[in-house]
Amino acid sequence: MWVARVAEGYVFGELTAAAVETLRGVPMLIESTDERVRARLLPETCIEPEDEQHWREHAVPELERLFLSRATLVRRDLETLRKLPDSGLHALLITHEHTNAWLAALNAARLALYVLNDLTAEHMETEGFSGATQKQQEAIVRISLLAELQAVLLGEFEVGDDEASVEDLVDE
Amino acid sequence: MRAHAATQEQTETDTRAKTSLAKPWNVIVHDDPVTLMGYVTKVFVRVFGYAESKAHKLMMEVHKKGRSIVWTGAREQAEMYAQKLQSHHLLTSLEKVED
Repeated sequence: MWVARVAEGYVFGELTAAAVETLRGVPMLIESTDERVRARLLPETCIEPEDEQHWREHAVPELERLFLSRATLVRRDLETLRKLPDSGLHALLITHEHTNAWLAALNAARLALYVLNDLTAEHMETEGFSGATQKQQEAIVRISLLAELQAVLLGEFEVGDDEASVEDLVDE
Repeated sequence: MRAHAATQEQTETDTRAKTSLAKPWNVIVHDDPVTLMGYVTKVFVRVFGYAESKAHKLMMEVHKKGRSIVWTGAREQAEMYAQKLQSHHLLTSLEKVED
């Protein structure tokens, strides 16, 4: 995978089929009705039952609407995935306007993968990987891939400005 | 006019009493092994408007101690902040400040 910064945002290039599949799973994970995912994305917040009930009635519905709207935004952006010539690999543009929505969506997807695969903090350490099942290892790889995208969007990787346009980059 | 003034005075007294009796609430962020540290810092800056250094310090407290009280104040505002933090998927809880 390569990354380029263009005027509109970041372009992620040479995305493999596995990476594309992982990205296409992001909105589905946000929308998951699995109890484990819902418990993590909409956690118990207050100690007293009446305070928690107040929270569930007043704060949670708005959060649910926000998550669904984010899932829709991400799904629409993924519809613009472009196939690169010859290689069969893909490229995705994440615009500056959508960066914050993507950051949160990627975080939600990573958390969902974590709880859905019964992962633990130990699994997330380098030495814990070998002790994970094959399914868990696949989930860890997906979580790491999504973390790489997050890190780029957070500006944690040095990505040089590219004077080329998105079209120039993906049509090369 | 006098009756109105008396009612207004009573209301002001009630409001002061309620305000002084209302306990502040803590907004607490808990550690999780998935969320990136840089992301947590960014969310603190974005939600509270904290300086990068303060946001980083709070993030490190979450990471090292497992939790950090990131804001304390009136319940309504505490709820608003908790909702914003949860909108970014930080593991957040609310608790009344005990005497």
